[in-house]
Amino acid sequence: MTGLDYIAKRVLFALATVFAAVTLNFILFRAIPGDAVQALRCQHCTVQFKNALRQDLGLDKSKWEQYKLYLQGLAHGDLGKSVRSQRPVWDELWPSIKNTIPMVALGYLFSVLFGTIVGVVSAWRRGTIVDKGGLWTGLAFYSMPPQWLGLMIVLFVAGAVGLPTSGIKDPTLGILGDASTWDLIVDRLRHMILPALTIGLVLYGEYALIVRSAMLETLGEDYVLTARAKGLSSWATVWRHGFRNALLPVVTLGALSLGYIIGGFITVEYVFSYPGIGLAIVEAIDQRDFPILQGAFLLLAISVIFFNLIADLLYFRLDPRVRA
Amino acid sequence: MTTAIEAVEAAESPVDVRPGLLRSKVLRQPQTIVGLSVIGLFVVLALLSPVLAPNPKEQVGPVFDPPSSAHWLGTDGGGADMVKLLIAGARVSLLVGFCAAVVSAFIGGSIGLASGFFGGKTDTVLMRFTDYVIVIPDVPLMIVAAALFGRSLTNIILIIGVIYWTTTARLIRAQVKSVRERVYVKRARALGAGNSRLVGKHILPQVAPLLIANTVLLVAYAIFAETFITFLGLGDPSLISWGRLIENAFIDDALLNDAWWAIVPPGVCVALVVLACTMVGQSMEESLNPRLSVGHLSPRRFRVRPAPPPREP
Amino acid sequence: MRNKAAICLSVVLAILVVAGCGGSSSSNQTGESGAVVQGGILRVGTINYIDTLNPFLYIESQAGNAFNMIFPQLVQYDYKDGKYEIVGDLARSWDTSADGKDWTFHLKSGGKWSDGQPITAEDAAWTLNTTLKYQNGPTAVLAGTVAHVDNAEATDPNTLVIHYKKPVGNVLAVLELGWILPKHVWEKYAVGNGKGLKTYHPEQNLPMVTGGAYTIKSYEKKGTTVFLKDPNFTYGQPSNADAVALTYYTNADAMITDLKGGQLDYVDQVPFSAVNVVKKESSIQVDTVPGFETTNITWNSNPQKPKNRELLDPQVKKALSMCVDRDKIIDVVFSGYAEKVENLVGNPAIYANTDLGPLEYDCDAANQMLDQLGYTKGADGIRVAPATSGQYAQPAHKMQYEIIVPNSLDFNGDREFQVVQEGFAQAGVKVTEKAGGDSSSAYALETDDNCDAATSTGYSKFDIAMWDWVGYVDPDFMLSVVTKGQWCSWSDTGWVNADYDKMYVQQATTVDPGEREQLVKEMQKIIYDNVLYTQLVEEQAIDAHRKEWDGFNTALSAYSKTYYTAPHKVG
Repeated sequence: MTGLDYIAKRVLFALATVFAAVTLNFILFRAIPGDAVQALRCQHCTVQFKNALRQDLGLDKSKWEQYKLYLQGLAHGDLGKSVRSQRPVWDELWPSIKNTIPMVALGYLFSVLFGTIVGVVSAWRRGTIVDKGGLWTGLAFYSMPPQWLGLMIVLFVAGAVGLPTSGIKDPTLGILGDASTWDLIVDRLRHMILPALTIGLVLYGEYALIVRSAMLETLGEDYVLTARAKGLSSWATVWRHGFRNALLPVVTLGALSLGYIIGGFITVEYVFSYPGIGLAIVEAIDQRDFPILQGAFLLLAISVIFFNLIADLLYFRLDPRVRA
Repeated sequence: MTTAIEAVEAAESPVDVRPGLLRSKVLRQPQTIVGLSVIGLFVVLALLSPVLAPNPKEQVGPVFDPPSSAHWLGTDGGGADMVKLLIAGARVSLLVGFCAAVVSAFIGGSIGLASGFFGGKTDTVLMRFTDYVIVIPDVPLMIVAAALFGRSLTNIILIIGVIYWTTTARLIRAQVKSVRERVYVKRARALGAGNSRLVGKHILPQVAPLLIANTVLLVAYAIFAETFITFLGLGDPSLISWGRLIENAFIDDALLNDAWWAIVPPGVCVALVVLACTMVGQSMEESLNPRLSVGHLSPRRFRVRPAPPPREP
Repeated sequence: MRNKAAICLSVVLAILVVAGCGGSSSSNQTGESGAVVQGGILRVGTINYIDTLNPFLYIESQAGNAFNMIFPQLVQYDYKDGKYEIVGDLARSWDTSADGKDWTFHLKSGGKWSDGQPITAEDAAWTLNTTLKYQNGPTAVLAGTVAHVDNAEATDPNTLVIHYKKPVGNVLAVLELGWILPKHVWEKYAVGNGKGLKTYHPEQNLPMVTGGAYTIKSYEKKGTTVFLKDPNFTYGQPSNADAVALTYYTNADAMITDLKGGQLDYVDQVPFSAVNVVKKESSIQVDTVPGFETTNITWNSNPQKPKNRELLDPQVKKALSMCVDRDKIIDVVFSGYAEKVENLVGNPAIYANTDLGPLEYDCDAANQMLDQLGYTKGADGIRVAPATSGQYAQPAHKMQYEIIVPNSLDFNGDREFQVVQEGFAQAGVKVTEKAGGDSSSAYALETDDNCDAATSTGYSKFDIAMWDWVGYVDPDFMLSVVTKGQWCSWSDTGWVNADYDKMYVQQATTVDPGEREQLVKEMQKIIYDNVLYTQLVEEQAIDAHRKEWDGFNTALSAYSKTYYTAPHKVG
């Protein structure tokens, strides 16, 4: 099987999985008893209003019709309309997505950073208490529910370092147009740090383990021993080779663990009131806004599938065994 | 050509499981002993909870009272004793953990067994199905299912159980496949032994210990998943679990009232049990499968075991 | 001598002036204490967001507040001495024709929309007529404001006449729920089937044309919306603050933390669990007023309910209610910020019946009643309802039920349930909590999925629920929720009573206030005697502000422009 074959096969599989996710999505949300509109309750949600809304959202058609419409809509990038606001789901979710991405990216960064530092130090001081301590601490953080860890951070860390514990920005900074871009950026970063830190702490353990193994591997390899024998700077060599060894598993793990991160960041966003897609999901659940839930769910599923595909392709590219 | 997932699980070439292996090797390790003790402690507390903590939600003091000699961990947002709540919570959390893990193990084990034993078309179909399920993000699915199908305890257990069987399936499949190819099994088949005999006498004993080890890890994750669900308000409202206590603290504004005693203990309990299960499960798996020892870290690595740096066989 | 006296006097006067200036009395609702300092940005925190700036689309109540700020209303409310009264907003005065069918509103002149066009009676007439025209479709949201209206016309730029099909008693209260939109901006959407009215999102197309005390500078649905003082606002009291920044918080904790930290000046709704924390802050003033929100035990009162029909007996319901410790609820659930209530409409409402009951907390008497009614306690302490015959024959069964509790309450519903559970247990009845989900799903549990008023299908599965109602100044809405007309809509008791329904129509069209008051009070008594709801407590409305600001009036939230224009920085 050539490289191209492999790529084609994986892409096809990804597409097939997307389709399965789409269908599952549809079935899941139509399986509920009653429809989302019938149960809407608000000051002026009269029978007239609800009937009009039902028509608007196409809920008065047969399930099969709805499924076809849904697929057609998806092909045009239309995820349906929110029941609460009657605006397109994408318009409602896009701002949330824009908020989540940098925060999660920062979280990833933290986890790789902490993991690398701990991994390297552990490998260097292999077998000592520093080594064991480092790994067990990583494991301990990994065992904590992320929302609880978030609460711990709010309780014990936030006040001490003077970082905000909620929202994405200072609500009144620059509302009259009097703040510089730099101020605004710094403000955003300050609000991102604690939730990102929570994610980073929960995840770094596994990176630490991988990096440690990679470093240990490297330390035992012939060419490194030779290099050391020749008196070359040991840190640099070890670092360079260790890095290369660790690259593949770290990258693979990174892409594949998006699935896990999703569980983590939803609750973290909730704890920190961070207006990302996780919080949007929680609110949509509360308000029974199924189109929003459906859309968010689909987007997340597609992201996971996409990143798995990237992982497959990267693995194929980077795996030394495979490149013959 | 392997996919990243498959490559990453390549470390799991199964080994021959000798009876008594568990007892001799695993139980001797300090890791296992500590882990089992912790789990055992909580199990005992959970079983005794009707006696130790009757009526846990009853108000026994002022709201958010700090720890004192009367109430060692103070009171929560409703004035109930935190210690009693924790003990009562152990019961539900562990129950959900074990039951969901069993459900998962059952589904995963069955699929893995069928896949590995029958091979061919059955295998392909089942594995394709598994592939799809693996990729769907678990927490959103759980949230959505809980929101849609209601919040009873049974639902929660089923939902968690139905989502986490995939790695078990793959693991068991690999093991069954390898055992099936062993000489003595082939011989038995040649002599006319039926399927059920083959499975029952030869394959299951080789698979069971691995399944048990895996189930222990599943328990950890199920308890973890339960905290996600209850934290978002989707748990059974009449039950107390550790996840519920964390949620209550959040909703009752424990943070604002500086009531750390209402927030810290439930999370510590969860972390302890999860850690303990990890330790036990990990040491079991390592003994049964030494080549695993390099890579894997813990419960949620189910989906992925980081690949050890590749080396020439 | 005289000099010394003069100095003494001046000193005393000075002290008096300073004392008057510096201290603000605790529950001052009229904004008079402290020197008024103009300007500044009023930073408000809220847990309710503005979902849209199109009045035909909104669902969230906070949007209503926003509309008050940016659009004229004919009338609004004022709150004096614990009572609400209608006062004019754009309307200066009004009178009725002899037959009560024509209402003439005299509007203040000189008002301008933010684009310079004058605000006239034509805008008001257009808004009402358009609402009327599409009331079964795009304008259904505001259909209530034109109930019984035939048409509206502007007889001159400052005079609006509304013609009603029959005399209506609560015209002003109903009109208060609507706003006047600029015809020259909105009329292009009201063509054809009027769908354009529902797809126009002014918040996405800022700047939008406004005509109130504020213009909109920026809008974020789940973030901060900034209202700027409109210098051209003439028909009411202009804003003291230069701008109001309304920020939505998903988490009340974070909001209170920001108030404490000085990032917010005002919080419009303080959660009960946080009140005592906030009160400890010397820099923050907490105000409470009697609120409209009442919590209740909802009894399925559908005369055709198939099971557990012993719960249709008002005596049984009353006995069980007598075992509920409402004082404990007030203490544990509401930290003391609630009062016992008996009527359904809420004590701040007009014509609230304050002579009902009161429901005594007396479980011994309750147990006696239940014994006498023939519900004997079994060996396990749970009473048994005897077998019945006839159309709805049931075998004998234990009195144990599920109570639906939604998770969308703004207080801890589980704890309230626990008190009820304890109380019922003492009466020999066992209840367990059933998760209701959010309001929509809890409501679906009550009405059934295939609810149909025409065939009287529905309300067949639940026995008891616990919920709350937010009333309104005019009791009409609350009285309507137990009519057959609200079956499958707002009714959660499923009650049916033709006489009551007739009374409901009557009170809506009775013009004489004395007559209406009698009717309304009698209707409340009927609800009470039939124990359709067991009213538990009435929550207080609690807000909090930093002491650098004053002039807040909690009671006027969503009822008046002055709610945001009156607050000011303190000298």
